[in-house]
Amino acid sequence: MKQSLHSATLSNGIILVGERLPDLESVAVAFHSPAGSIHDPVGKCGLATVAGEMCLRGAGVRDSRQLVEDLESAGVQWSQGVSSTHASFSGAMVARHLPDVLPIYADILRRPLLPEDELPAARQMVLQNLAGIEDDPTHRTIAALRRIHCPAPWGMPTEGISADVESISIDDVRGFVGHHLQPGGMIVSVAGRIDWDDFVRRVDDLLGDWPAVSSAAVGVGPRGPFVHHVPHDSQQTHIALAWSVPPYRDDASHEATAALAILGGGPSSRFFTEVRERRGLCYSVSAGYQTSRDFANAVCYSGTSAERAQETLDVMLAEIGRLPGTISPDELGRVKARAKSGLTMQQESSAARAGAIARQWYHLGRLRTLAQELERYDRLDVAGVEGWLADQPPRDLTVVSLGRDPLEVRCAIPA
Amino acid sequence: MPFLHERLPNGLDVIAETSESAVSTSVGFFVMTGSRDESDALWGTSHFLEHMIFKGTPEIPGDAINRRFDDMGASVNAFTSEEDTVYYASVLPEQQHEAVDLVARMMRPALRDEDFETEKLVILEEIRMYDDQPPFGADELCRAAFFGGHPLGRSVLGTVDSIRGLPVAAMRDYHRRRYAPGTMVLAASGAVDFPALVESAKRLCGDWEPVTAPERLVSVSPRAAARPGRERIVRPAAALDYAVWMVAGPDEHDPDRHAARLLSVVLGDSSGSRLYWGLVDSGEAEQAACIHQDFLDAGLFITQLSCDAADVEELTERIAGIYATAASGGISPAEFERAQNKLASRVVLGGEKPRRRLFEVGLDWSHCRTYRSVGDNLRIVEQITLDDVHRVLETWPLDAPAAAVVAGPGSGG
Repeated sequence: MKQSLHSATLSNGIILVGERLPDLESVAVAFHSPAGSIHDPVGKCGLATVAGEMCLRGAGVRDSRQLVEDLESAGVQWSQGVSSTHASFSGAMVARHLPDVLPIYADILRRPLLPEDELPAARQMVLQNLAGIEDDPTHRTIAALRRIHCPAPWGMPTEGISADVESISIDDVRGFVGHHLQPGGMIVSVAGRIDWDDFVRRVDDLLGDWPAVSSAAVGVGPRGPFVHHVPHDSQQTHIALAWSVPPYRDDASHEATAALAILGGGPSSRFFTEVRERRGLCYSVSAGYQTSRDFANAVCYSGTSAERAQETLDVMLAEIGRLPGTISPDELGRVKARAKSGLTMQQESSAARAGAIARQWYHLGRLRTLAQELERYDRLDVAGVEGWLADQPPRDLTVVSLGRDPLEVRCAIPA
Repeated sequence: MPFLHERLPNGLDVIAETSESAVSTSVGFFVMTGSRDESDALWGTSHFLEHMIFKGTPEIPGDAINRRFDDMGASVNAFTSEEDTVYYASVLPEQQHEAVDLVARMMRPALRDEDFETEKLVILEEIRMYDDQPPFGADELCRAAFFGGHPLGRSVLGTVDSIRGLPVAAMRDYHRRRYAPGTMVLAASGAVDFPALVESAKRLCGDWEPVTAPERLVSVSPRAAARPGRERIVRPAAALDYAVWMVAGPDEHDPDRHAARLLSVVLGDSSGSRLYWGLVDSGEAEQAACIHQDFLDAGLFITQLSCDAADVEELTERIAGIYATAASGGISPAEFERAQNKLASRVVLGGEKPRRRLFEVGLDWSHCRTYRSVGDNLRIVEQITLDDVHRVLETWPLDAPAAAVVAGPGSGG
């Protein structure tokens, strides 16, 4: 199948990436602005999230309600979210609606009203979300892991900290939006039933004359302790582990992600087999790969009854320690098969492809074709994965638990 | 998208919706059994059995099943509800034969003693996991209060005691009775080779004994909550209150179920609805939603609210006010049209994913022996009228005495 991938750069630096999927009726578009939470000032943790929410509370000639109603009248499945690096505004819709919808997104980006009278509600919405997270033990465990494993501001919670959110003023929001919601570093991705040239023309008309401003570099602080327990009144104890691995743009990330998939990526993975299937220790256990542009982490998770948590942690640590030198060709073959079929099936979803090509451009500064992606998997072999593991074995693990009692880290892995 | 159907002599239906442009194939078994088909002694068996199906057949050990799925790069899973147990795998088209082969063999599991005891521990962990999470059991307790003695009042997972007390022999007997060819459907969607699918079904399932499955315990559709009023679950450490209440709505055979769904979008969708503008946009509620859910012989309007415990009374009242305004003043044509567009968009976008179509096509056939294409579903949405929605508001009053449960720290009354 001939893949139809496109990219273009507007004069103000906005990157456009697109993929035509002519068999689909839908189109998905996403605007990723570099207004993520790493730019939250000290004492204002959650500012990016409040700012992202405020951008939807009126833009251009539309007030908050009219904005949502116009998107939904066109049947747009819209979403807004803030990550550590980006504020993203996205929508999936039947393709014919795209020309009417693009100007609404342009208003959100360029002409948000940021009305002062909406700020208390926006802040309150973010505080409600934080209260909901308090009741979600898995989310809290992973957030606690991130907080101590990643140096500030990378480890700070994107969702915010209640006391900080309460102190955010309209000037904070307007200042943040003015500095960070801007063309430099913005990626606009589109996938589905598109006419690429027409899309570029429309986006250029809407955003091409938006002047870029330079943004400040982000300073990095110290990381936290390696072992941490969060007391929580629950039946289950939640366990999360992390260590550093190469970022996506590093070629070795391919070997790293394969090793992590063997450890905890599917039903035949070592974690699933040893922790759940053989011992019945838990319902969920996994290992995964989380990457930023300049660093990445292996992240493992499990949740189990308090009295069985120590054994669960012991088995997880033993499996991590056992990984180097024991990868079999069959295991790697299964990882490759899963990855290849997952990549191919992405072609059935405009939203999945719009997300994937935006990520590729952000990490690599270019797009890889499906054929190139599949070919990379063909090249992956046991010697390569073992070579990487020998070179960079899991070490310096961060271990977080959340539950009634702290756990003991009986670790054969070098600290 | 052509639809194809063949029935094997033992009663097993094989169906497929094929698509020339799909790059994947989804296959699945839809078993007409769920928590409503259990007794108190068998409470949680359908879901526990769903786990046990992955523990292997007499010839294939459980870890080999996991390996074989991963060998074919399959995305595989299963779920159990009150009325259905569904097993599915999505693969690249060249793996169709292998995927069907494995899933079909799994339907005749070994149910070994030692696997049963180990998996029991996993089920108990799953129960504890959900019990530690919002809404802290409020949904299950509310269903029990709404349905009373009706079989739909039993939760899918069962309880710690019912799972601990379940003997493996009871599960084997349940499997023999409920996994009969006449109560199962083999469905496929996407890039499907239908003749090969039928050939696989004949080879692998043709000798399944056509046991007559016991009749489903279908009773008179409940029009009102069996146990109206509010119950409370106290979780001292919870940050928020989680309230849920249920009143009756149209069931799966009622033509008004589509209008009921549209009404729930107008009133309680996650964005742009009356509850959204009235409670969520202001930051007073973490969540406020209205959902319509239908079963074979019952339907529900479910309202979910999460908010600060101090506000739960006031916000519950405000939702009641929003419902009362809808009942007296109706829905505006503009709201109606927006909700219709939202639903139409969901049909089209969902129709692009073979996995999603597998569930729709499989469940439609399993429940009603009907097939509806994406185009059919789109026409259904387009044919809903404002009058239909107003009729639903009248026939199924949202302010009827509800079964209600609030779970939270306990300071909210």
